[in-house]
Amino acid sequence: MALLEIKDLHAGVEGIPILKGINLTIDPGEVHAVMGPNGSGKSTLSNVLAGHEAYKVTRGEILFGGKDLQELAAHERACAGLFLAFQYPVEIPGISNMYFLKAAVNAVREYRGEEPLDAMDFIELVEAKKSVMKIRDELLARAVNSGFSGGEKKRNEIFQMAMLEPTLGILDETDSGLDIDALKIVADGVNALRSPDRGFLVITHYQRLLDYIIPDHVHVMVHGRIVKSGGKELALELEDEGYASWNGEEGL
Amino acid sequence: MSLDSIIERYRNRAVADEPAWLKAMRDAAIADFERLGFPTSKEELWRFTNVTPLAEQRFEAASNGWKTDVRDFQGLETVRIAFVNGIFSAEHSHLEALPDGATIQSLTAVLSEDPVRLQGRLGELADAGSNAFVAANTALFADGAYIELAEGVVLDAPIHLLFMAGDGDEPFAVHTRNLIVGGKNSRATVVEHYIGAAGIAYWTNAVTEVFADQGAQLDHYKIQQESGRAYHFQTLEVSQQAGSRFTNHAVTFGSVLGRDDIRCNLGGEAVESVCNGLYLLTDGQHFDTHTFIDHEKPNCNSHELYKGILNKKAHAVFCGRIMVRPDAQKTDAVQSNKNLLLSRGAKVNSLPQLEIYADDVKCTHGATIGELSDESLFYLQTRGISRGRARSLLTYAFANEVLDAMPCAAVKDYVEELMLAWLQSEAEA
Ligand SMILES: Nc1ncnc2c1ncn2[C@@H]1O[C@H](COP(=O)(O)OP(=O)(O)OP(=O)(O)O)[C@@H](O)[C@H]1O
Ligand SMILES: [Mg+2]
Repeated sequence: MALLEIKDLHAGVEGIPILKGINLTIDPGEVHAVMGPNGSGKSTLSNVLAGHEAYKVTRGEILFGGKDLQELAAHERACAGLFLAFQYPVEIPGISNMYFLKAAVNAVREYRGEEPLDAMDFIELVEAKKSVMKIRDELLARAVNSGFSGGEKKRNEIFQMAMLEPTLGILDETDSGLDIDALKIVADGVNALRSPDRGFLVITHYQRLLDYIIPDHVHVMVHGRIVKSGGKELALELEDEGYASWNGEEGL
Repeated sequence: MSLDSIIERYRNRAVADEPAWLKAMRDAAIADFERLGFPTSKEELWRFTNVTPLAEQRFEAASNGWKTDVRDFQGLETVRIAFVNGIFSAEHSHLEALPDGATIQSLTAVLSEDPVRLQGRLGELADAGSNAFVAANTALFADGAYIELAEGVVLDAPIHLLFMAGDGDEPFAVHTRNLIVGGKNSRATVVEHYIGAAGIAYWTNAVTEVFADQGAQLDHYKIQQESGRAYHFQTLEVSQQAGSRFTNHAVTFGSVLGRDDIRCNLGGEAVESVCNGLYLLTDGQHFDTHTFIDHEKPNCNSHELYKGILNKKAHAVFCGRIMVRPDAQKTDAVQSNKNLLLSRGAKVNSLPQLEIYADDVKCTHGATIGELSDESLFYLQTRGISRGRARSLLTYAFANEVLDAMPCAAVKDYVEELMLAWLQSEAEA
């Protein structure tokens, strides 16, 4: 069974249509990259998948592990194994990263009918996961994303993903604003999670990330539609040619 | 009506064997009270707080006692002076572990044993002539805590001032009077803790005067957990001498109608004054905070952080006045009042008032009234946290800044627990 099946998805915000008929299937074990010009609807797609209430689905269907995703609230989707690494991670002053992570991990466990982790087990899990993402203890003690550098925020997103071990990871421009070392760390973090039953949707503007996280499929999104799909070589073509041949099709 | 009954109570009271200066002070105070009457919303300082329900109520004299067990206030039991319905309770007090030079007694004990210690201090800061609540208190106070620290005395354990309101002839009035004298370079933590049995109706009318002599460091807390039907009014008057540091942390959970009037007089150079607060209000609770930070001398810092969380139809008032007098050059004063509204029906009036008469000063103030951010809620939800729990977490996070500024871990932990319980019960309601 497909991990994620998006069929003829139309969605928008405040009555403004943004996604205009997306079709996309991700099988377990696959990495799909989505590229496309600014404003084409990539973040809208990730918000719709994650369950942001401002984004309304007007037509079509999303199946996650065969189940209708729209029946689940945002937190239920997360508990069911969907993870969104934000393009712009939100700062939460007043809650430490550790406290937040523990609340998240145990919320997911509770949903799955598992015992909550006690303090010791939780710290063990953190220790096991933090090294790949090079997360310093000081960052764990600080309030969630507060005053984090752009790169630290993005690494923190992938660290959270590693802690929650989702079945579908959606990365919305996690590579934007990263230096080359941080980019490798993020890629290592994602690659460490790759497994036969886990899938990824990687949204990016740059071929560079895809040198490290090698996709099985690449899709081009323009004006809320997937206008072309191909293998990893499609990303290289885009790098050379840009989106000129699709842009203007509807006029910006 | 309350006014007449208060005057009548004063006339009919059993005349205690008190020193002449105190009798004169009380006589003057009742005359002040008669002249002032309860404030009305026509008065500038009372524009947003209507005390009619209090003014129209007749209050009995407090009597009887506390039938509920005193819970174990972890970390706060080492040094305690307790009062039940305003009267000293030896049973609930622990005053054994005091170092030399530290006095903690009930005010009545000091009055009968050594009243000279109070003369020139009691009533020195709190002005009955301009404040009806102070006037009523001065005329009628029965007891309260007296704390005196001699020069250089350091007390590590927090001093727990426990004021319990229990069963009595309802509604009753408790006029509590506290006096705290921190000698030169003394150091202590004082926790005023007001707690009422659930559902009982009474009026706490407290006045606390604090003297911080040169170099003294006093951390003062108030935890207000009065019953949901109580009226709670307190005037806190602080006088600070050169090089002293005073911090105040007022946390309000209880009372249907209440007010804190706080005045810090920075009367020496290099004084530091911190005035923080957190109010968590719900249903029809109304709580008003008036602070007045009075910079008289150069090179002083004051820092105010008040945060409010309001649910349902709660109403909060914050009025923060900062005065920088002509002599107070190099003043650094910061004031911030932030409010989080958890429901459409809640309301806040926030009014900063800066009066600056010196030119070389740094003064900033800010007030915000907002709601939980949808983006933050969504972020938490995408990590598996339900919307209700996300709301609680973000509310907790909002308040955390005030807790983090509390130097006493025992108080901080106690308040944190109360706050979590409050959030839980609001989430369920
Ligand atoms: N909450 C919103 N309110 C109004 N318009 C929105 C909202 N979210 C998205 N849009 C609009 O929808 C379009 C697609 O936005 P989206 O953020 O999905 O683009 P994107 O492909 O992620 O772009 P980028 O590459 O710049 O991140 C844009 O025109 C944007 O302005
Ligand atoms: Mg985007």
